[in-house]
Amino acid sequence: MFDFQKIRKITPVLWEIPRSFRDDMRVPARFYSHEAMLHEVGADRALEQLVNVATLPGIQGWALAMPDMHEGYGFPIGGVAAFDRQEGIISPGGIGYDINCGVRLLRTGFAKEEIKDFLRDVGRTIFSHVPSGVGRGGKLSLRGQDFDAVLLLGARRMLELGYGIEEDLAHIESGGKLEGAQPALVSEHAKYRGRDQLGTMGAGNHFVEVGYVETIFDAAAAQDLHLAQGQVTVLIHTGSRGLGHQVATDYIRLMNRVMENYGIHLPDRELACVPFSSKEGQEYFAAMQAAANFAWANRQLVTCEVREAFQRVFGQETPELSVVYDVAHNIAKVEEYEIKGVRKEVIVHRKGATRAFPGQPVLIPGSMGTASYVLLGQEASLVQSFGSSCHGAGRRMSRTRARRQTSAALLREDLSAQGIVINSGSKRGLAEEAPFAYKDIDDVVDVIHEAGIAKKVARLRPLAVIKG
Amino acid sequence: MPYSFLEHTADVRMRVTGDSPEGLFRDALFGMVSLMSPETKKEGEKIRRKIALDAPDRTALLIDFLNEALVWMHTESEAYTEVRFHTLGERKLEAELEGERVAGFGEDIKAATYHEAEVGKDPTGTWATTIIFDI
Repeated sequence: MFDFQKIRKITPVLWEIPRSFRDDMRVPARFYSHEAMLHEVGADRALEQLVNVATLPGIQGWALAMPDMHEGYGFPIGGVAAFDRQEGIISPGGIGYDINCGVRLLRTGFAKEEIKDFLRDVGRTIFSHVPSGVGRGGKLSLRGQDFDAVLLLGARRMLELGYGIEEDLAHIESGGKLEGAQPALVSEHAKYRGRDQLGTMGAGNHFVEVGYVETIFDAAAAQDLHLAQGQVTVLIHTGSRGLGHQVATDYIRLMNRVMENYGIHLPDRELACVPFSSKEGQEYFAAMQAAANFAWANRQLVTCEVREAFQRVFGQETPELSVVYDVAHNIAKVEEYEIKGVRKEVIVHRKGATRAFPGQPVLIPGSMGTASYVLLGQEASLVQSFGSSCHGAGRRMSRTRARRQTSAALLREDLSAQGIVINSGSKRGLAEEAPFAYKDIDDVVDVIHEAGIAKKVARLRPLAVIKG
Repeated sequence: MPYSFLEHTADVRMRVTGDSPEGLFRDALFGMVSLMSPETKKEGEKIRRKIALDAPDRTALLIDFLNEALVWMHTESEAYTEVRFHTLGERKLEAELEGERVAGFGEDIKAATYHEAEVGKDPTGTWATTIIFDI
């Protein structure tokens, strides 16, 4: 349990671990939480990991953790850190293995009442259209230059291949394409792992969820996003699959070998890093951007598979499913902030954290069977959190303990009693994602809302959950 | 049990022990394979896979070895049941893995991480380390 004697309350939702906490900290660490949630925050090694982040060269302001934080490896999940572009580092472990894991929200032309009798069909059809689980490939199997074009162009390449409409790209973070991607810096191992994974969901906590707008908190903002009470929505949660995992593995391995050349010594080698401006730093950044583009192409293709599934169930005349927004929550980006009165370019690492620029939709999926949120980024995010918000509810219980406390059958029964349809390939995986294994999403989102990072726009409730 | 799984909030923490570096590396590999829950085919095709690596130290060598095996598990649906080390030094490894091609896996592992990994020998002569898998 973390020693809370040494932390300081900044606001009712923001806490600081001062530099004096440990000699090697270069900046203080700050984390967002209600006082009542502190026992959960301190229950695992998340804060210890956050303090480790505060020791990294070139870190600016604070090492930050969002209210959904929990223990990771290297950086905590829910971690945000910004490093000076000239003198700071880049760390693959600060982005995570699933590069550009993220969430996309679609809105449909249906009201909840119109589809309630078709939920089983919808769940089954999406399950069959969107390959999920370990090792189940997608319908696109690209090679050579065709594969590299995806790494270079991201979601745009899917449009060129006929998957999607121009309008989709206008509602994706960075337009679904990062400009600095270099496919040649992605290893053959990584490309081989990703070769047939476009348009696939994967396993673990990834999902497609059909839901509806249960509550609207901000009518004007909801209207701007074309979201209405009772409207049916679809959330897609997946990332760069095996390709991104391998890019991270390759470069963490490389950085462990070379960081000593840069005089970098760390408390945890999973924090392996090199100067951003170094050859290896620039190469990782280019490979990471290629993996991020792969993830956006993946969510674009999954979107088309969901559209096809809706047409299969409701006919060709089904109103178009439109993209509300698509956000990355495992990524590094060069952004500019005012730090101590000076405008500065920094490399922002978000590991289980969502960009929350003013006016930008922020998508926060809850745990299976509970609510998800649509928020809108606020000005304060630029001042206090390097334009970042939380990314989900955040686990609070290990997978093994979750499995001990429930079974897939019991969980199905529970969710079914709430009118939620489940399609899952893995019984074990289903039990591991039990709602009680996560923090309360309402509490987590309230912290973000109260901190002024992002404001609540709408709450979504699930109707059908499709998992690997 | 040469390997066991401990609590971790989101991922998998595995403790593995062995009476020699070879034993430790072998059981770390078998622990990872078991975590992936291979779905055996009725008549699985036998496979052999050679892995040759070098690394800055023994801990990195173990993590890199597991990640290299993971690539082939993912891309070729291979599950290993035997391993022979031709070389296993502090910084160099040459191994031959044997197993079979499987129908798929019940669980995913994204990577073996360096976090908390520290290969060492305790006073009783037992080799041990913790490994966190990102799943």
